[in-house]
Amino acid sequence: MFEKSLGDLIKGIRAHKRDEAEYIARCMEEIKTELRTTNPKLKSQAVLKLTYLYMLGYDVSWAAFQFVECMSLPKFSHKRIGYLAASLTFDESTDVILLTTNLLKKELNSPNPFECCLALNTLANIVTEDLARDVVADVLRLTDHSDPTVRKRATLSLFRIFLEFPDALRPSFAAIQERMKEENPSVACAAVNVVCELARKNPKNYLGLAPVFYRILTSSANNWMLIKVMKLVGVLCPLEPRLSKKLVKPVSNIMNNTSAKSLLYESIVTVSNGMMEHEQIVQLALSKLGEFLSAKDQNLRYLALVAIGNFQRTSLALVAPFRSAILSCLDDPDRTIRLRALDIVTGMISQDNLVDIIQLIVNHIRTTDGAFRNTLVEKVVQACCQGTYVHVTDFAWYISVLADLAVVPNNVHGVLIRDELINVAVRVKGVRNVAVATSLRLLGDERLYRAQTEQANACQVLHAAAFICGEFGTAEDIESVTIRSALSHVLRHETAHVLPGSVQAVFVQGALKLSIALAGRNETVAPEGGDADAAP
Amino acid sequence: MIKGVLVFNNTGKPRLTAFYEHLPIAEQQRVIRETFSVVSKRPNSLCNFVEDPSIWGDDCKIIYRHYATLYFVVFADDSESELAVLDLIQVFVESLDRCFENVCELDLIFHYEKAMYVLDEIIMGGMVLETNQQKIAQSLQAQGKIDGDRILSRARV
Repeated sequence: MFEKSLGDLIKGIRAHKRDEAEYIARCMEEIKTELRTTNPKLKSQAVLKLTYLYMLGYDVSWAAFQFVECMSLPKFSHKRIGYLAASLTFDESTDVILLTTNLLKKELNSPNPFECCLALNTLANIVTEDLARDVVADVLRLTDHSDPTVRKRATLSLFRIFLEFPDALRPSFAAIQERMKEENPSVACAAVNVVCELARKNPKNYLGLAPVFYRILTSSANNWMLIKVMKLVGVLCPLEPRLSKKLVKPVSNIMNNTSAKSLLYESIVTVSNGMMEHEQIVQLALSKLGEFLSAKDQNLRYLALVAIGNFQRTSLALVAPFRSAILSCLDDPDRTIRLRALDIVTGMISQDNLVDIIQLIVNHIRTTDGAFRNTLVEKVVQACCQGTYVHVTDFAWYISVLADLAVVPNNVHGVLIRDELINVAVRVKGVRNVAVATSLRLLGDERLYRAQTEQANACQVLHAAAFICGEFGTAEDIESVTIRSALSHVLRHETAHVLPGSVQAVFVQGALKLSIALAGRNETVAPEGGDADAAP
Repeated sequence: MIKGVLVFNNTGKPRLTAFYEHLPIAEQQRVIRETFSVVSKRPNSLCNFVEDPSIWGDDCKIIYRHYATLYFVVFADDSESELAVLDLIQVFVESLDRCFENVCELDLIFHYEKAMYVLDEIIMGGMVLETNQQKIAQSLQAQGKIDGDRILSRARV
């Protein structure tokens, strides 16, 4: 009698901002009682309230059976709520799905098209293998229903059915092809949508439909259909070179004539994916791409960068004309755009331009903000060590870069830099002296000793510095004064004691190696200033 | 395919959620929270796309639009066109407007299931079902009539 409607529940939640959880718990208890009712209106309202609570994050899986009961209520406005609840909350683990089979079959065979649509909608969301097997025949029949809204839904839901029950595909395919030829654009679109999704999963099997796609590309005026087919063509062309040759003309036509930016963009991407052997269309695509890149619209600029990334994979030379525009994108206020630009820039790297490009990125590191800075640092290191340093010709330069990166404020990549320094020093004999000199400088850098918060761990670089000094700083050609200097750093730096234990341990080991080296040269071991009890 | 559709307000409260690729409840709430966190920091002058694999995996583009107090977010995989999805969001909002007459957040709060029925006309099981404004409105109007639903039956055709 006084049961809360959904509206009451929502008002109640809004009024109980401070004790929301308790209020909702009370409401849940009320709902549990209400669900036991035989009054269809009350039952469906209770189910509706539960779907709302589900959206807020509360588990309602215990009510699954009641949702099925609600689905079987006679009145459309009541059962519709049950179907909504099922669509939203059922998943593979919901065992009551088994109970819905007969219910769904009944609806699918109903003379009322709204009931068919209701069932189809829920089916598309909850279908399992067993359910698919049981209803596929009914759904297939509905693809030929007199009402186009039923036909389009039936056709579209077949995709989800095929995903669960692939055996249904072969016997149903003829029906889908029929729908593709339909007059009614919504139904035809639905069929094309299904075919495109299927073909993306198994492109080889759909090469045979190429003539159909050709027809669509040359004669359809429906942008959604054209976009789907265009994307599919990009997937099919790499598998069949003759296909790309045939499609050059229709795709060029579309690129030149369409007013829909979405379709134009997909055409450009398709060229980059599957038509790269055809000079003319590639040039056309690149010129259109240039327009996107210089557009005021941020969305177009972002998409241009995505497409350039695609072209870059095939040929670095092709994207060279866009270089300055891309570099200016590294400064863009939009993080999404910056990340894409960064990807492209690091993709441009070769032996010849590594130093220039890294220098560019390092300059950006100095001017950019916190989180992006760390991304840049990581990218620099990744770019240099990719292919086991295939692009690096001068490791002394690389060490200097690492040293620069080490002192970037709020650096979270201390461990990465540490490992790189050690890696290079160990593997590349020729730069060990440079490594030692750099390490000495780093050991004297105050900033590194202070750089240890939860995220910023640049102090780890000191681990590398101490290790390198200890391991390679004792070679014959290193001057004693250097060794003594290193020793003084590891032994008595005022702030060394705040470093993590693991780093201090390396300091101690370093001190040992350096002292032994000095002793071996018959020189006094006492560090400058002679403070014997300074060792940690 | 479309993996999910979210509508939340400027403080991150969900107003409509549809997950076409099933996620456990805790994961759903995490996706909502993290998406809100990323999207709410972006001023309206930036592009409508976000790439963040940590939210819903690698093959997921996050496409969103901000209208006054509401964010409409669509999660789509590689088979969808970004610009087309952006148009689709507009179609969804337009359709809501036709039912609710100058739709505002309060309408979605108190009639969220009607908003779901509108969405069901546009996206079904993660696939785009209808993009024509007229057809969507006609279908809603017809449903509204047999359902005795005041709001949907008012849909402006």
